[in-house]
Amino acid sequence: MAEGTFDRAVELVMDAGQTLLENGGEVFRVQQTMEIMAASLGVQDFHVYVLTNGIFASAHRPGQDASSLLRHVPTVSTHLGRVEAVNELSRELAAGKLDMAQAEQRLQAARALPRVGPRVETLACIAGSAGFTYLFGGTLADMPVAAVAGLLESLVCQYFGRHGINRMFTDIAAAFCCTVWAIAVQAVVPAVSANAAIIGALMVLTPGVALTMGVRDILNGDYLSGSIRLLDALFIAGSIAGGVVLGWILARGLGVAV
Amino acid sequence: MMPAWTHYLAHFVVVVIATISFGITFQVPRRHYLAAGLTGAVGWMVYIFGVELFGMSPAIATLAATLPLTACARFFSINHKAPVTIFLLPGIFPLVPGAGIYYTAYYFLQGKQELFASKGGETFKVALALALGIALVCSVPLPSRHDPRNDRL
Repeated sequence: MAEGTFDRAVELVMDAGQTLLENGGEVFRVQQTMEIMAASLGVQDFHVYVLTNGIFASAHRPGQDASSLLRHVPTVSTHLGRVEAVNELSRELAAGKLDMAQAEQRLQAARALPRVGPRVETLACIAGSAGFTYLFGGTLADMPVAAVAGLLESLVCQYFGRHGINRMFTDIAAAFCCTVWAIAVQAVVPAVSANAAIIGALMVLTPGVALTMGVRDILNGDYLSGSIRLLDALFIAGSIAGGVVLGWILARGLGVAV
Repeated sequence: MMPAWTHYLAHFVVVVIATISFGITFQVPRRHYLAAGLTGAVGWMVYIFGVELFGMSPAIATLAATLPLTACARFFSINHKAPVTIFLLPGIFPLVPGAGIYYTAYYFLQGKQELFASKGGETFKVALALALGIALVCSVPLPSRHDPRNDRL
């Protein structure tokens, strides 16, 4: 294996792993995909250790010492389309359907897969909030209230996300906004149940991803990564609860609710 | 019996839409929308039947619902040749105890210690049931014909 080929192959494998991890792939999937790709590309002595926010790998450079490779993946924003694309790529690479150049091209394409626009995301948030309000026993009158709460939430999340504000504060602020909004509507229109509307809107913020991924990581023996995710789930749940409590405190302070 | 029937039909339609909404925010590819929605619907319908018709506690109903839900996600994952996460993440959302988190915080603030403790405990139990359900179904090995390394979808 020539020197240049080695560098390209290792770069490809690391990029693929990073793409998986930062778009919400599970730890074992990242590890496994990287191993399969390295084996298919003929990288010798490839060893990799993946954590929730980092990839550590080493490989044997032909005729020289081992080289070590490191990637830090601080933020994860779930994009399951990209996870699927990289998965598909590694499958085809292992089946010998792709050469290095094609694989590089496919990875570029996978990384460039677009996100749905912020408007569509907001719409999804609105539909989800209203839908869950109905499922959790809300009336038809509660649904539009929850829809607006979902809109507020989505705007808060997108605005805070653009300004790089941390996830915890974002959750607190989003939960606070939808709580205050729903209580305000209930104060004006007593037929509306603030509880049902708030619950529906909060479902969008709940730590479902962190919980599910944490369990799956632990199942696959990645205890450290799993614990990190479960801790994340706990903090998200706590932040939501904090936002709700702050909202009610404000409402009580203004004498709107008891 | 008609009202009950329409009640569950409405739930089915709404939960499919709500699950797909979550799928959109996770950037699930469009061709998987329906499968993700159905996965969520399977979980929620079993849950709501368990709670409303069989009088199960939320935690037990969640466990009962997570089993077919996860099985469904695995089925779609094999059928569509896609990672199981694509169906599992949106599908699990209706069962995440959002209401539990809310009421725990609510009773905490109201100073109703007993309700606070019982809601908090229930929320924790539901989360555990969810975890246990996923763990049970994900651990069942596939009847595989090919390289088992590709099976850990």
